[in-house]
Amino acid sequence: MSNLLIGITAIVGTLAVYLFTWKLHKKIVSPLTLPIFLGSIIIIMILAVFDIPYDTYMVGGEWINQLLGPAVVALAYPLYMQRNLLKQLIVPILCGTITGSTIGVASGILLAGWSGVDDYIIYSLVPKSVTTPVSMIIADSLGGVMSLAAVFVVIAGIGGVIMSPLVFKLFKVDHVIGRGVGMGSGSHAMGTAHSMEHSQLEGSISSVAMVLSAIVVSFIAPILVSLLM
Amino acid sequence: MLRLDKVILHIVILYVIFLIGDWIQQTLNLFIPGSVVGMIILLILLLSNIIKLSWIEEGTKLFVNHLTLFFIPATVGVINYLEIFTGKGLLVIGIILVSTALVIGISAKVSQWIIRKKELQHE
Repeated sequence: MSNLLIGITAIVGTLAVYLFTWKLHKKIVSPLTLPIFLGSIIIIMILAVFDIPYDTYMVGGEWINQLLGPAVVALAYPLYMQRNLLKQLIVPILCGTITGSTIGVASGILLAGWSGVDDYIIYSLVPKSVTTPVSMIIADSLGGVMSLAAVFVVIAGIGGVIMSPLVFKLFKVDHVIGRGVGMGSGSHAMGTAHSMEHSQLEGSISSVAMVLSAIVVSFIAPILVSLLM
Repeated sequence: MLRLDKVILHIVILYVIFLIGDWIQQTLNLFIPGSVVGMIILLILLLSNIIKLSWIEEGTKLFVNHLTLFFIPATVGVINYLEIFTGKGLLVIGIILVSTALVIGISAKVSQWIIRKKELQHE
């Protein structure tokens, strides 16, 4: 098969799997039907069953991957839409996000360092609390692996949502702003979706915290990596 | 119905801003990714009304709503790293969960503390 045909098949196939899981997730709302989780698993299974190497799939996948950059640029849109909230609450949101992100990046580097895993794994888990497109790009620029970064982001997302009631109890957090900042800073889009189920305000704060933490982590990650590793 | 030509134009604008961000990152040798520079540029252009929201809205909305699609191919790459979920790799999952709980708890606590102090001042 020519490269062009392989590429088109991979692109159309990825689109089809994505649209299927996207529709399914609308009907059955669960972390397990999230397109990033279920969609990736379906494609991995197809590649495994038909014995297709990842590099062959990426002949087409690379085209979709190329759009990661503009997709990150598009994140300015939700931030702009929430500009009034941003102006009002910039100090508490930014202070919370900066402190949380710094501790998140530092604890990731130190704990992983002590456990003795390979450096590329540490670089891949540094941006785990950040929304996937930014996380992949940060991991890549540090010397990590994009796909590992994506998987670690999913673990932080699902894990954070499940742990959040206990964490908020432990840290005595009951304010809607605190909860929104926590979910957005620690569990990115999945945390934001979870916050939206509580209230529109908590969800909006969470989405602002999510984008701000992506910016904050891309600043602090390289600094903390050079300081702590 | 979404107008395809409009959406494509919007995506081209996003792509150009991304390329500008990337160029700035490389020229100034910044350590933050070019796409994040692009995001900040777009936010500034929108806030200062240099770019009108209507120039980019449909395409950008489509991008944000279907963000997941763009990182599925890279995520599938984990197929080459499946050994990570055995042995020491399981420790990595534990580390991510502990570190995530710290991020959520501490960022929430700090912002709650500041907002409560502000609320007290207003009373």
